[in-house]
Amino acid sequence: MIDDWVVFLLLFLAPVLSSIPIVLAYKSKEWTEKLPYLSVFGIFVSVLMSLYIFFTFPKELPASQFAYPWIPELGINIVLITDYLARYMGVVTAVIAFFIAIYGLDYMKGDYRPSWYWFFFNLFTASMLLVVYSDNLFLLFVGWEGLGAASWGLIGHWFRDDDDIAYVGKAGRKVGPLELSWPPSFGGWRAISTIRFGDVPMFFAIAAIWVLSPTLNISEIDWGSLFLGIGAAGTIILMLCFLTGLFTKSAQVPFSEWLMTAMTGPTTVSALLHSATMVAAGAFVFLKVTWYIQPWKPEMHAIPGLEIVFIVVLFVGLISGLYGALAGTGMLERKVLLAASTMSSIGLMFGAAAASYWIGEPLLVEIAGEKISVALLVAFWYMAVHAFAKASLFLVAGHLIHATHSRFCCGGFEFAKRMKTPFIVTIIATTFLVGIPPLTAYWVKSMMDEVHLHLFHHATETGDIHLAIPIALLIITSLVYSAILAKFLSLNFIKGEKPEHEHLEGGGLMKVGYVLMASVLFVLTYHIFVLEETEGFIHAGGEMLSLGVGVAIFIVYIAAIFKPRITSLSKLGTFFNDRMYLPFLNDYIVPKTGFFISRIVQNYGNRGIDGFFNTRVIPGLFGIISRGIRAIQTGYLKSYVKIVLGLVMVFLIMASLWGLGL
Amino acid sequence: MMGLTLNVMDIGMLSALVILTLGSIGSFKNSKLGFYGAIIALVIAFSAIALSVAHFISYGIFILVIAIINLVSLEAIKSEIKGVDYGLVALMALATMYIFNTSDFALVLAALVLVSVPTYILVMIREGGANVEVGIKYITFMVLATVLFLIGAIILVYTKNAFDGSLYVLGYVMLVLGLCLEVGVAPLHEWVPDVFSSADPIPISIIASLAKIVPFIAALWILVYTSCDLTASITLFTAVIAAISMFVGNIGALTSKELGRVLGYSTVAGMGYVLTCLVVVARPEYMYLALTGGLLMLFANAAGKIGFFNAIKGGGAYSPLMYILAFSFIGVPPLMGFWGKLFILLSLAKMEYFWLVGIVVINSAISIPYYIRLATELGVDWKPNLTNFICLAAVVMVLVTVFLLPVEWFYSTMEVIAQTVGIAI
Repeated sequence: MIDDWVVFLLLFLAPVLSSIPIVLAYKSKEWTEKLPYLSVFGIFVSVLMSLYIFFTFPKELPASQFAYPWIPELGINIVLITDYLARYMGVVTAVIAFFIAIYGLDYMKGDYRPSWYWFFFNLFTASMLLVVYSDNLFLLFVGWEGLGAASWGLIGHWFRDDDDIAYVGKAGRKVGPLELSWPPSFGGWRAISTIRFGDVPMFFAIAAIWVLSPTLNISEIDWGSLFLGIGAAGTIILMLCFLTGLFTKSAQVPFSEWLMTAMTGPTTVSALLHSATMVAAGAFVFLKVTWYIQPWKPEMHAIPGLEIVFIVVLFVGLISGLYGALAGTGMLERKVLLAASTMSSIGLMFGAAAASYWIGEPLLVEIAGEKISVALLVAFWYMAVHAFAKASLFLVAGHLIHATHSRFCCGGFEFAKRMKTPFIVTIIATTFLVGIPPLTAYWVKSMMDEVHLHLFHHATETGDIHLAIPIALLIITSLVYSAILAKFLSLNFIKGEKPEHEHLEGGGLMKVGYVLMASVLFVLTYHIFVLEETEGFIHAGGEMLSLGVGVAIFIVYIAAIFKPRITSLSKLGTFFNDRMYLPFLNDYIVPKTGFFISRIVQNYGNRGIDGFFNTRVIPGLFGIISRGIRAIQTGYLKSYVKIVLGLVMVFLIMASLWGLGL
Repeated sequence: MMGLTLNVMDIGMLSALVILTLGSIGSFKNSKLGFYGAIIALVIAFSAIALSVAHFISYGIFILVIAIINLVSLEAIKSEIKGVDYGLVALMALATMYIFNTSDFALVLAALVLVSVPTYILVMIREGGANVEVGIKYITFMVLATVLFLIGAIILVYTKNAFDGSLYVLGYVMLVLGLCLEVGVAPLHEWVPDVFSSADPIPISIIASLAKIVPFIAALWILVYTSCDLTASITLFTAVIAAISMFVGNIGALTSKELGRVLGYSTVAGMGYVLTCLVVVARPEYMYLALTGGLLMLFANAAGKIGFFNAIKGGGAYSPLMYILAFSFIGVPPLMGFWGKLFILLSLAKMEYFWLVGIVVINSAISIPYYIRLATELGVDWKPNLTNFICLAAVVMVLVTVFLLPVEWFYSTMEVIAQTVGIAI
């Protein structure tokens, strides 16, 4: 038996430590070509550790919690947890990172700063694992910030902005005052600024929880009495502050823009950070917290304000889902299309997880001694399936960009014949992901349909009409989603234009990467069939509604393959491709408002402060006092005597008067 | 017979006085005799104190060092009373050393007068004649100060025996006003900038260093001794005066050009810092904090003033030495000035005078530019001359808290002293 502590240390530190040599050797071309293998090995150690935790560590509280003192006086400790979510997500994260790292050995070959890339790639992996296994909110936040920093570093990896292949948007395309084209450096900035915008309220929310609760451990916080203590308004404000961090990280509307321009980073980064793990971290943390809030319990329904929080998450998620899918319909850039579909999927995860509020008995599943709403379970399984499928698609997209030297969809059937592996992987990944029966995601999506149908029934029973909308949003999103992934397949391998460049040799390790990635989808299907907790998924797959939706998805998928572009709708497509003008929020409205405020602060605030401290009030006061002080010093004894005697007399009279008053 | 009641202390003090007198007489023949007589007298007095009360070593050693530096610095000036001036300085030092050793009210007042009167003569010292104009300006206020102080003290002691609230208030105010005039606290500070800038820097360095210590100890002694129910509320008067003095001193120094004048205002500010200690008299249990802070502040002030005035006299001193003294004045840890301010702030915080704590801190900030300016203007390259050796000695003194003596040592002995003073009273 290895000590728990050693396992965790290896898990978190192996990726970081193994990437330090390449950082130190940044000047040597010879070494930076070899040392990436060491970095990949570090991630491999993490894979082993995550598997070791998966198979041997305890599942049930309190044994699944591992605490090591850090700042015990403040209740801030290194507290890790190996509950259901963490043990699965840990393996998902480590395995995906490892496969992508293998792919990256080929993909990043000859790049201009491998040290930077591998350091941040591995730092990211460690940070994500920290987020996954943390039980303490503060520790989680440390990992969370690591995600943000690594995201910035990796999106802006090609900081020289010297290659159009790394841009997002068409160069020179202007709408109003904005040029809808973004270089990597700007992409990095958009990512970090948006994420920081959300992190600040999230940090305050964690601080508030720290003040209100005796512990920061998610699994130990008494959420019910915490919420009751701060009332409806307090609950809503606290949770919305917390959620701002999750929504920005997970690129939900209206914070989705950064994810689109995050595609300026290397494809490996898009695959790992911006589809499988980091953007999913927002949804994952929501799952993690909801898992212990257990909002489906009747006593939680007595908490004022909590329902509003879950309604907000439900609709932000589902609207993001529809927005992302619709935006994807107009997109022709390979990675940006996938990014839009990613935000759509994450929206569905948020939606399903939020639905858990209304999904109690009898839709509870027993996991590790706790009864958990099936809505959370389905959100998590969708996250896992999506992670592998979408990462495969991204890796294929990266390979295609290498092969065709174009970031726009292109490649016909002739091209597909010469690129058989990516073609097959794309077919597998798309069909397994969109929910075509009986492939992996179908079972998960069926359960998701079931959950939202339950909301619909709830709406008809109680008259909460807004709960009737989710099922409609989900079905529409699923259909559009199916269409955009089919479009991706069609425009790249079947009906796309012939690529201008074709560079087909090499790429062995890239193929290994995405073949391994896609093959995990079969493993997941197997798991869904054999696991006890996912039994309900199989039953849901047999329901009429699910079957109907599944067939509809299949029809849409086939139709989109045959007609990936509808020229008569090109204007609408352009509108969708411009992300419904949401870039204006990031690049125009927010900066203009910011500059306006900064101008006010500069013109009035700063001048006021400056005037008070530096130019007028204080210096003026000093001048007056100083003149007064020096005016006394006439040098004549008689005037000094007058002053001193006068003052002494005044003081003595005052003292006498006071004395008389006693 | 008297002889039967004499102890080591009295014998030491008496023999010191005799040697001092003989030395001064001898100095009419040879001024060196006055110097050596003074040194020997001081060493004997210090040994007597150290032998009789071990806790006074720390206090006594500082006084001894300050006095010896003052004596040596007198070498820089050729006065008409060469030889006697040594005796006067040594007499002041003897009184300063002695003040903690007495529990007699009359002797406390005598010590005050013994420290005050020699400065009347010292202030007029000038090369080739007497600085009568400065002398008159100084003596006028000193006489008034001493009278106020003495009458205030007598009234206070009277109320101790036959309590009368209105008399107590009057006595308190008189004593504090006398103290303010004596050491130069605003708004009764008018003589300070003039005298400091027009008298010779060497005697001023003595007035600004050695002569400041006894008045504070005497005031503290009498105020603690006579404290009553009214004390807690009347300390506000002291606090306000101290605050005014800090602002007037620092702003005056900040906006003055002449170096002597800057140092004069710096004294006004410095005495304001020390005066804040007097608020502690309402709670004798915190007196050890005030004593530690006040004395360290006075020692740091003495070392700094000696260094700067001698540098003025000698046309500048070695630059790093000047900066160290400036930093000590500002209160940069771990120099002595920092510890002085720290303990003063601690005693104020214990007394819950938080606004005064704020004012002390703000004033420390205001003082930064002019101390740095002083150091910059007085700083020159190293030369092995008397000025630099005196400044070096002053710097060693402010560095004592860093290398030689831990502050706890001084602090704990002050604790004992505060207790003995309390018991003695």
